[in-house]
Amino acid sequence: MPLFGKSQKSPTDIVKALKEAVNSLEKGDKKAEKAQEDVSKNLVLIKNMLYGTSDAEPQTDIIVAQLAQELYNSNLLLLLIQNLHRIDFEGKKDVAQVFNNILRRQIGTRSPTVEYICTKPEILFTLMTGYELQEIALNCGTMLRECARYEALAKIMLYSDDFYHFFRYVEVSTFDIASDAFSTFKELLTRHKILCADFLEVNYDKVFSHYQRLLNSENYVTRRQSLKLLGELLLDRHNFTVMTRYISNPDNLKLMMNMLKERSRNIQFEAFHVFKVFVANPNKPKPILDILLRNQDKLVDFLMKFHTDRAEDEQFNDEKAYLIRQIKELRPMPGH
Amino acid sequence: MDNKMCNITQSDSDDQENISENEVELTNRVFEVNSEDLRPLFLQESHLSDHQLLDEDEPFWPNALDDLDGVNINNFFHRVSSDQVIYQAKKRLKMIGKYVMGDLLGEGSYGKVKEMLDSDTLCRRAVKILKQRKLRRIPNGVQNVEREIKLLKSLKHKNVISLVDVLYNDEKQKMYLIMEFCVGSLQGMLESTPSKKFPFFQAHGYFTQLVDGLEYLHSKRVVHKDIKPGNLLLTLEGVLKISDLGVAETIDFFANDDTCVQGQGSPAFQPPEIANGLDSFPGFKVDVWSSGVTLYNFVTGQYPFEGDSIYKLFENIGKGDFTIPGDIEDPLRSLLWGMLQKEPEERFSLQQIRQHLWFSKRPPLTEAPVPIPPLRNDEFHCMTVLPYLFDHYYDTSDTASNLQYFTQRQLNEEIMKREAEQNNGNAQPNQSSKRRWKKPISCIAVRKLPGCKQS
Repeated sequence: MPLFGKSQKSPTDIVKALKEAVNSLEKGDKKAEKAQEDVSKNLVLIKNMLYGTSDAEPQTDIIVAQLAQELYNSNLLLLLIQNLHRIDFEGKKDVAQVFNNILRRQIGTRSPTVEYICTKPEILFTLMTGYELQEIALNCGTMLRECARYEALAKIMLYSDDFYHFFRYVEVSTFDIASDAFSTFKELLTRHKILCADFLEVNYDKVFSHYQRLLNSENYVTRRQSLKLLGELLLDRHNFTVMTRYISNPDNLKLMMNMLKERSRNIQFEAFHVFKVFVANPNKPKPILDILLRNQDKLVDFLMKFHTDRAEDEQFNDEKAYLIRQIKELRPMPGH
Repeated sequence: MDNKMCNITQSDSDDQENISENEVELTNRVFEVNSEDLRPLFLQESHLSDHQLLDEDEPFWPNALDDLDGVNINNFFHRVSSDQVIYQAKKRLKMIGKYVMGDLLGEGSYGKVKEMLDSDTLCRRAVKILKQRKLRRIPNGVQNVEREIKLLKSLKHKNVISLVDVLYNDEKQKMYLIMEFCVGSLQGMLESTPSKKFPFFQAHGYFTQLVDGLEYLHSKRVVHKDIKPGNLLLTLEGVLKISDLGVAETIDFFANDDTCVQGQGSPAFQPPEIANGLDSFPGFKVDVWSSGVTLYNFVTGQYPFEGDSIYKLFENIGKGDFTIPGDIEDPLRSLLWGMLQKEPEERFSLQQIRQHLWFSKRPPLTEAPVPIPPLRNDEFHCMTVLPYLFDHYYDTSDTASNLQYFTQRQLNEEIMKREAEQNNGNAQPNQSSKRRWKKPISCIAVRKLPGCKQS
């Protein structure tokens, strides 16, 4: 590499060199140190082509197009992600940056990288399993969220079996990984409204049986975050069908009533926002109505004393007053 | 006629109003005048003589005055030449709760909008000042505002204006809605350009943000019903904020569809189903239509439907026939067709808009973007609260020699100029008007404050 001026290497050369270096890193032969160095060096070269440096502009579109084409043809993106844990710290970050940049590339109305990944979904699955490995979890997280912005890729992830691993990832003991996983999880479930609504509808039983576990988690943060997300999902107009289904199941109502009594006030408050939907439902199925009727007096008493210090939150107080009125007026279904 | 008297009396009545509109507080410094000499009798006449005043170069006391019922006016009025009656611009600090009041930003349908500074967090804010008296005169005014406040409190999205605080002053019967600070509306930007339109890439940037915001509103079951460039505000960073939810409707939580019964938006942006007076219609598609008209307006500078009267306009909208100028090519053309379909069922959904080719393709940067028009000649939109703070906290006596005084004549000239400017349809900022007036309006000795320029 010349000391001064730009590198004269073509994208083809760099991609080839990087691929060789990653391969020998994978094999773990004695030249590992040299390979590590080559990987870092070539990653920086690619990164600079895409982003430019303080004294060089990014490369022209033609060079970038060539680079992208080489990356697709050599299958290097997958290879890099598979060996991400072997690459050094800075290199990992460079991989994420290169990946995200290439992903965002557009030609006219097309996103060629998105199309490429659609044909190579292993890339997504490998990224998702990245949450298993502490040293690459966060790098994989940034790449996954970038992917989740594209509906086609989000769809592949949502409908894959690997998606259900997220229910485990969001609960891991390492806090930063758990929260990163949760934000990816949330992005996948909320970003593309229609896609998500369809997904939840089709996979209702599987998703919500998994979700139940989160709501019962030992981990306070998981419990609170998942309850909040559940509220958001159910209150979103796009998920109307899912909401109707959720609030006709008496088990869900019982769970929410128990959460209203949780020790944490924050969880109580989030539970309130789900609980209110059960009560406000104008067409309550009999099992739901029965539970509410059985607890009618207790619920009214409870709600009267529920978070009375939130005087400034008008909406909450209005809703609470409405619920109390509704519950007081509950009557058994005619004919029973 | 009696110029000099007018000069003085005016300051209390007529002009005071004009001036306060321009947010210059005037301290009347009258020299050699005994205020007891002022009689209300002349207050009225002062209005009549306005125009003459402006033309008169040198203050002059015509002899004809002696005609006034034969009374020698000089006996009761002390004469002052008008160039001796001077005013001084002043910025007096005013606090509403923890907020420091700044200058006027604009006037909404319900009242003035001013800049504010949160003295705790130092966040720039805008405040909508609503007078209850005015509000009561508007049909459903009070209810609409209360509903809007409730609604805004429950919404939180990057592309929807957020309500930060609500304060009441029962004594003055005023309501202060404190909002995120925005520099202006897209309507104002469009009007500031000769072609009245945006380059494609700029229109695309705003349109995608509009769709993001709308999707959020719809997910919260809110139909905005009044989407138009005038209700889309921009922050200093160029983030679009959907504002004015005064006529928005919330669909019932358990309603099976989005049926609405009331259409209240701006006529030119209303869909055929409302123009034709249907009893009920799908609400979300109303917003799609008005976003379509808005996008049409962004890229062509025109409206798809026009009419001399509201009846004619509604008739044209009701027919649903419109043309798209030839220079608008596919895919934008087909997007506009899709959004402006006469039948709501055939009209695009937000989802279809999102998946449309024009939406996903970022148009190339072809020309300079339309800038946000300057506010009172300030293209940087500097914080207008600062001069008030400066006046309040720093001893300005040493700058007394720099104090700017100006006479009624200069004042009138300036007012004339401004009116002329406004009549010329917001032409470019008048260069010559800067000469004398720039200083008194702008902050006093603001140069002394380092870093007052907002980047």
